Amino acid sequence: MIPDVRGYLRENRMPHILCPGCGHGIVLGALLRAVHALGIPQDRLAVVAGIGCSSRLAGYVDACTLHTTHGRALAFAAGLKLARPELVVIVLTGDGDGLSIGGNHLIHAARRNVDLTCILFNNAVYGMTGGQVAPTTQPGWVASTAPYGHPEPAFDGCALVQGAGGTFVARSMAYDPRGLQAILTEALEHRGFSYVEVLTDCPVYFGRYNRLGEGPELLWSQKARFGEVGQMLRDKRFVTPDGTAPAGRVEGLRFGILHRAERPEFTHVCWSQVRRGGDP
Amino acid sequence: MQTRNVLVVGVGGQGVLLASNVLAAACLARGYDVKKSEVKGMAQRGGAVVSFVRYGERVHSPLVERGRADLVLSLEWAEALRWAAYLRPGGVLAVDLVRILPPAAQLDHRTWQASYPAVEVERLRQAGWDVRPYEASRCAAELGDGRMANVVLLGAVSRELEFTVEEWEQALREVVPEQVVEANLRAFHAGRELPLASVSPGDVRRPAARTFRVEVTASWCKGRSCGICVRVCPEEVLAFGPDDRATAASPDRCTGCQLCQLLCPDFAVVVREEVAVG
Amino acid sequence: MARLRLVRGNTACAYGALSAGCRFYAGYPITPSSEVAEEMARLLPRVGGVFVQMEDEIASLAACIGASLGGLRSMTATSGPGFTLMQEHLGYAALAEIPCVVVDVMRLGPSTGFPTAPAQGDVLQARWGSHGDYPMVVLAPAGVQEVFELTAAAFEVADRLRTPVVVLYDEVVGHMMEPATLPDLSELVASGTWRRPSPPVQGTYLPYAYSEGTPPPLVSFGEGTRYHITGLIHDESGFPTQDPGKVGEMLRRLNEKVPEVPADQLHPEGVATEDAEVVVVAYGITARAARAAVRQARELGVRAGLFRPRVLWPSPATALRELSGRVGMFVVAEMNFGQWAREVERLVGRWAEVVTVNQVDGTPLSPRTILERVLEVSSPVPSTAAGRRIS
Repeated sequence: MIPDVRGYLRENRMPHILCPGCGHGIVLGALLRAVHALGIPQDRLAVVAGIGCSSRLAGYVDACTLHTTHGRALAFAAGLKLARPELVVIVLTGDGDGLSIGGNHLIHAARRNVDLTCILFNNAVYGMTGGQVAPTTQPGWVASTAPYGHPEPAFDGCALVQGAGGTFVARSMAYDPRGLQAILTEALEHRGFSYVEVLTDCPVYFGRYNRLGEGPELLWSQKARFGEVGQMLRDKRFVTPDGTAPAGRVEGLRFGILHRAERPEFTHVCWSQVRRGGDP
Repeated sequence: MQTRNVLVVGVGGQGVLLASNVLAAACLARGYDVKKSEVKGMAQRGGAVVSFVRYGERVHSPLVERGRADLVLSLEWAEALRWAAYLRPGGVLAVDLVRILPPAAQLDHRTWQASYPAVEVERLRQAGWDVRPYEASRCAAELGDGRMANVVLLGAVSRELEFTVEEWEQALREVVPEQVVEANLRAFHAGRELPLASVSPGDVRRPAARTFRVEVTASWCKGRSCGICVRVCPEEVLAFGPDDRATAASPDRCTGCQLCQLLCPDFAVVVREEVAVG
Repeated sequence: MARLRLVRGNTACAYGALSAGCRFYAGYPITPSSEVAEEMARLLPRVGGVFVQMEDEIASLAACIGASLGGLRSMTATSGPGFTLMQEHLGYAALAEIPCVVVDVMRLGPSTGFPTAPAQGDVLQARWGSHGDYPMVVLAPAGVQEVFELTAAAFEVADRLRTPVVVLYDEVVGHMMEPATLPDLSELVASGTWRRPSPPVQGTYLPYAYSEGTPPPLVSFGEGTRYHITGLIHDESGFPTQDPGKVGEMLRRLNEKVPEVPADQLHPEGVATEDAEVVVVAYGITARAARAAVRQARELGVRAGLFRPRVLWPSPATALRELSGRVGMFVVAEMNFGQWAREVERLVGRWAEVVTVNQVDGTPLSPRTILERVLEVSSPVPSTAAGRRIS
């Protein structure tokens, strides 16, 4: 049986504020099960979040939680991790938060290889502000600020982070909470910057504007993708030793653990300098 | 000597491989040639597992053909039925009477109780096999750890094989983890003294049914406008109640897959297994 | 052993921070503050602290706030354009009540402006740069020794009031070298990786449950107490609230928590104000020119005095109003078009005349310019003195 992880929630704050059918809570469930499976004590857990629907989840986790400013969660988290390397620091961010206003912080956190686990909720829309386009909205999709179809191409967050030097890059989806949990477990165990982008759904805006149905229908649409990528998500040999195995290509997005590399971790390097008293 | 053919069978998690490793170690201790091969079936817990062990002066193939096995050591009743056909006429079928519902049986989960085979030892005896039923799991549980049923059953059949007690003990010490060697030695000797289980003809005892409880925290549920749990449940256990919140309308149909719990974005659904009392 | 050394203002700033236990610095290079970052990069690892150069000023202050929550006293330094970017997180730190110290070495603006030129144009931004109503403590050292002292004091104030503190000085103070007594590095090394002590917590920690007008001491993340911090308006527990009663009460307490004189060593300095008929109000490098101008005015027979605030915000209302009972004329000298003069006018304008002397051309105000303005607005002096008007 999968465990009941509600003990990791601030139950007196529930129910959470997210809309009916929103996929974000599924992702949080998978995350908490990964935390539970790894036996991370709540007192060692810090959750840092930016602004947006996904970032509001931080406040429901019974840990040290920091709800910061729009796009900047990774910078706050880097400071916290440097000050308290013993903490497991998880960053919750959305596609607008992490890839638009916070894009600079994302690439630099990846480049520095700070030991953070960054979970980016990609629902291709700005939910909190009412359904505007996000940097992950594919061309042609309708949003409140793209009533005639989005004229821009979308970011591939995983490719961006890998290019910036992230040492663990993966993509999963809310439809596959078990595969997601497995990936999150590995991301949490990874020493360095890990980036897990999770496809999730906004039935209230993205679903409605694009006539895709409600929560269940949006999950079904992920299921269609899942058929092609499910095996890869579960296959631990998916990433070859050189970390460059080809991954499934679905609507331009690749799924699974897409990249893994070993590089010195920033916090460790900084404190090593401190221990040497500044001697090079 | 003639090459001896042994099958150790059971379901995932029962320790089939450990039991066959002990047997193989005993063979080596005696100086036999030994070949061993395994089909781990589904690697997950509950999947069928079989291990072939062949030993003698000189052994070439690791595989045993149907109708050629001297001994089938089965850690589970239904698995004994599955593999009995491998026995030669007069071959020994040592079987633990524990009954574990295999995943395959769950395909017929609404009526699965009837799909589990009855314990009909006499019918097997009529087929010409030397059937030795044991309550090995119960014995192991009484010793303090039900997981040692494999070693208890090994102990029970050890008298039928040519190895000395010392060779068995040496094999156990080699194979089982150091911290549980003593416990396993006790299990082995308890198995050596274990009497045959008395099974009346027509015993159709079946494993206890697994039942599940679906709990919905109504105040966290966002109801019909979400609707994910109601829609994803393959057994249509969940429905909307008068308050528009999800509720377990047909709880007895639940098979414990927990899709509802995994996919509820609001942490409102939890599935628990009911623990049978008595 | 502390000893007298010839150092730059920006170096004294780094030493002041380290001596106060600052063990985290995150910053972004910008003229004329970069020497603070360079000193911190050199010194922090040697005294058990961490330096990181971030991707921009927004991230720099964010990292400081994160590290502060982790228990390290944290600082960043910048100049006008970077200070503008930091307003986002100054507001955050003020609302979330996370202590941190921001040094702004002022250069001539607006925008990229004149990067190497001194100015005092960030005075109002330092107070009101972020949106909404929030408290702000802004310290204004006027010399190298005072940069050291006020930077150190900034950390004490920040921790005690759980608020961001800005140390505001200009390019001249930052770059000029003068003798100052600074601690030896060995003393700083001995104190090691200092962490702000977290008080023991009984039951639930309420990070915003004020008592006697001040918030409770901050418990660091990772000390076994789990709680929530947000930039949303929150109640005592730290969780968001939209209850107008709680929202209003929370903001009222927040905006009232900083006392006019946040620490004993932060009282304004008065020079010859006892019998003064005209008082020059000046801070930072301008105060040094004003001090000379006042001395020269006295030599000319004008009863001039100097009022030099060490804290610009909250403004020293009590001290200024007390002075306005005796002084009829205030001359506010600033390297801007009268930013702090507005505050002086607001505080004493009902009882005294407030005039300004401004210079915004990339050069510091000279004593002569200030003296001219003092003489211009002071009552006629005896003829013997009049003949000795500035040569």
